[in-house]
Formats: sequence, structure tokens, C-alpha cells
Amino acid sequence: MAQVGASVPAAPKKVSSLSKRKVQMTLFVVLALGPSYCGYLLFTLYPNIMSAYYSLLEWNGITDPKFVWFDNYVYLFQDPYVWRALGHNLLLMATVPLLTIIPSIFLAYLINVKGYAESNFYKVIYFLPNVLAVIVIALMWSFIYDGSNGMLNAILNLLGIDNNDFYWLGSKRTALWALLPPLIWAGVGFYVVIFMNAMKSIPHSLYEAAILDGATHMTRLRKITIPLISPIVRISTLFLVLGVFKGFEIMLIMTNGGPAGSTEVIGLYMFNMAFGKSSHNYGYASAIGMFLFVVLVVAKLLIDRFSPKDHAEF
Amino acid sequence: MDTNKRTFIDIVWRFIMLLCALSVIFPLLWIVLESLKTNKEFFANVWALPEKPMFENYKKAWESYHLGSTLLNTLYYVGTSLVLGTFLTALSAYTLTRLQFRGRNFIWGSIMLSLFLPGINALVPQYVLMRDLNLTNSLTGLIILDSFGESVFFLMLLGGFMQSLPKEMEESAYIDGASLFQVFMRIILPLSTPGIVTVAIFKFLGLYNAFLGPFIYLSDSSKYTIGVAMYHANQIMQYKADWVTLFAGVTIAMIPTVVIYVIFQRQIAEGATLGGLKG
Repeated sequence: MAQVGASVPAAPKKVSSLSKRKVQMTLFVVLALGPSYCGYLLFTLYPNIMSAYYSLLEWNGITDPKFVWFDNYVYLFQDPYVWRALGHNLLLMATVPLLTIIPSIFLAYLINVKGYAESNFYKVIYFLPNVLAVIVIALMWSFIYDGSNGMLNAILNLLGIDNNDFYWLGSKRTALWALLPPLIWAGVGFYVVIFMNAMKSIPHSLYEAAILDGATHMTRLRKITIPLISPIVRISTLFLVLGVFKGFEIMLIMTNGGPAGSTEVIGLYMFNMAFGKSSHNYGYASAIGMFLFVVLVVAKLLIDRFSPKDHAEF
Repeated sequence: MDTNKRTFIDIVWRFIMLLCALSVIFPLLWIVLESLKTNKEFFANVWALPEKPMFENYKKAWESYHLGSTLLNTLYYVGTSLVLGTFLTALSAYTLTRLQFRGRNFIWGSIMLSLFLPGINALVPQYVLMRDLNLTNSLTGLIILDSFGESVFFLMLLGGFMQSLPKEMEESAYIDGASLFQVFMRIILPLSTPGIVTVAIFKFLGLYNAFLGPFIYLSDSSKYTIGVAMYHANQIMQYKADWVTLFAGVTIAMIPTVVIYVIFQRQIAEGATLGGLKG
């Protein structure tokens, strides 16, 4: 693009100072942007491209890779463990966003509109799990679920329910469900803050008119608040769905997929294929990764389609 | 809103809010409380208060999990990545939002591309790359991985902030003969402090809480960061049943982020809204 200044005839001295500035500018851009942009190309873009190539290999990371075309993908679609893991993902994707978003809207409304004296203090408390490390959250919930010494069984005992030191993460029947509370616990406060701030931008006059018409809180929430923050609710839901789809750290720490694969999710399956103790199947893990990539890109395109267009862009 | 009358139903709502707050606080307090008991007290009754607080548990956790050197590792990893990464982000944000140069749009576009990359599929090639560069099992390797390379969220946050700064101060500095670097250091950085602080807080939380990266890349226990150390401590605990020490370790791991949260509570809540839905 031509600089505006270049087309204007200028005195020779000024031209030389202009080109001097241009040299300085180029040098600055290279030095300032160079390291992190090269880092981005090397550590982010390059591995993402390479994973497509790796997915066509049979490779354990040590011996010579063997090019096998689409064998990994053929195997992937026949691998029952992949489908089992995806099933668990689907269950979590259907429940976690719902059970996170609905309480968040409710709490945000209570904090914002009701304005109790203690509300702001609660807001701070609700957000607290979001600053905790995943290891802290996961270990804490493992302790809660422990059979003989866990908090959950102790609470049930107080309520008069004795379940013989039932180990919640050790049973195929309960382990996956036991992962829901930590996932929700860790996320609700974040969305309370998001929705609170969205609700703050709703003009008071709308509520006042509704109050004059005698609308109850329930009606106001349903007819004014939720419709007006619905774009944010929609993206939040989609982001949670994506997060649940690719997340696996909680499962890695709390159960590592067990017992008998009942908490295996697709990300964890891929991770264990590549880095697990018994298997170093880089090619197959990459194929699963590519499969995830395609699903996530489609989901992201959907998000862009549904997201509000008022974001600042530059 | 003061137009609301306080009715019976308000008591119900307030009770629900209190219950939610308790469900957050109670398990955390439970961990702290148990960390002050003896194992015997813990096995006897989960609810009883400790007879006398066992601060020895913390000493034991500190020694048996090597938390001293682990926290030094964490400090080196988090501190260096934080300073280096924030400085590089500020440089990139300034260059990309306030300077006009050829190829700017191309570079910006290629960075925005990463919004489409879920990252999870790059795990294996990234590991192979790090191995080939001899950067595995090295805290410095992790620092390089985490500091170099643009993060779109922070670039957008800081870039947006820098765009709102007035142009006049820069221009008068150029007339006085200042170089671009001087303008950046003396004018842009000080004026962007609020944005930089927000980025730094989020980088701190992200780095300190990072688990997967350190877990994959660090294999020597002498190089563990706190998250990986606590993971392995928990694995070993299954054979030792030394609960109270593990509780003490988890409490220690919890402290730094809680302190940061208490100090920067407002910036964190605001920053979450700014960047949360762009991720």
C-alpha cells in the first residue's frame, strides 16, 4: 500500500529522514514481532499442520515411521473404545452446559436484580473455584468421593444413610456421574460473572415499565432478562460444549478413565494412546486428534454463525 | 433495586444463595481443617475439630513432597514466563495495533487462525518438536514454549486497550526525536499499565494452574512444578494412607492463587468478562 506522504513532493532532506524512519520502523517490527511470531509459527501452527501428516503414519515415536495412508482412520471408525469415549463426551456435553448455565443465570439475576446486602460477597465466593488449579479441584473432589473417609459419605451418614463406604469413583455405575459436580462446581461462578455483567447493561426503564404493569420477578426474568442476554447465553453454552468436548484433565487426575473405561473421554483416550504407560501410538493418537479437530472446527463455525456481531474487531 | 419489597420469598432466595456459597467454601474449608488433624483423628471422625492444630503436617508435606524445590521450580517457570511472555505480548500488541507496515494484515490474520485450532490435536507433534529441540524435561523448555508464541486472547485484550490511547503523545515524542523503542518503553507501556496488569494476572493464573504441559514435558521429579508434584503425591498416597499430609500439600498448592484472587478480585472479574467469550 502506498503511503500518503510518499506522493507529496518533499524537500530532499525530508525524504532522507522519512526513509530513515522507515528503516527504523522495519527494524523495530522485526525485533518486536519476530520472536513471538516465529514462536507462534513453530510451536502452534507447525504442530497443528504436522498432526495431519502424523495421522497417516504408523509410528511409536522412536523407530522409523511407516506411511499407512488412511489405515488409522479406518481403524478409528471401527474402534469401539473411541465410540464409548464419544458416548461419555456426549453425555457430559448434554448435561454440564445445561447444569452450569441455568444456575448461573438464576444466581446472576438474584445478585443483580434483588441486590441483597450480601450479594457482592457471594459473587466473590462463587467465582473462587475459577482461580483454583485443576489439580486442587480434582484432588479435592477425589477426597470428597472417597469411600471410608470421604466427605460425601460422611454427609450421607449424618442424614442417616449408611451406604457401606461406597466408593463413588470406583463403581462403573457412578463414576461418570461423579465427574459432573466438579465440572459444574468449577464453572458456575465464571458464568455468574459473565451473565451479571450482561444483565447490568439492560436499561432499568424496561424493568420499571414491567413493574408498573405488575409483572412478577419470574415474568421479568423470562420476558426481559433472558431474551436480552440470550446472545451471551448462546455463546456461553456453545463454548461450554466445546470445552467439555476437548477437556480431559479432571478425568486424567481423578480416574484416568477407569474403572473399566467408564469415565474415558475422547481427549483422554487420545492422550493415553500417545503418552500412556503402555502405548506410544503417535500415528493413531494424531488421527484421533484430527477427528477432534474437524468436529471442533465445525462447532466453531457454528459459534461464529450464532455469535452477536457487536464485538470490537481490529 | 430498592423498588422491591422484602417478602417471605426473599428469605428463600437468600437461603439458596447462601447454600451455593457454602457449597463452594465448605469443601475447601474441610480440606484445610483436615490438614490440621492427626491421621488418627481423621480416620476416627471426619467432622470433629482437631484437638490441637497440627502445623507439623505442613512441615511434613513441605519435606516429603519436596515442596521447597518444587515451589522454586514453579516460581522460575511461572515468573520467567510471566515477565517474558507479558513483555512480548505488549510488544506484539503495540506493533500490530499502532504501527502501519506491510504484511501487518497477513500476520494478524495468520494469528487469528489459531482461534480455529483447538490445540488438542497438536499435542503429539508439539511433543516430538520439543524432543527434537532438546527442550523436554526442562523448565526452560516449558518457558520457551509458553512465552514465545502469540496468544490471541491477550493480544486482543491488550491491543484493544492500546488502540484507545491518544495518538498525540506518540507524535510529539517522535518530533522530539524519540525512537520507536523509546516511545514504546516510555509512553505506551506506562499508559497501558491497567491492561498489562490484567494480562499479567491471567497469565499468572494460567501458568500456575497449568497441569498438562508440565505433566507431559517434565519427567525428573526434581523438575516438577507444584501441580505435577501433588499429582504424584496423590498417586503415592494410595499406598501410604497419609491423608493429613496430602491435605496440607493441597492447601499449600491452593494458597498462591487464592492470595492473588483476594488482591486482584476486581480486575479478575472484569478481565473474565472481557476475554471470556472470545477465547
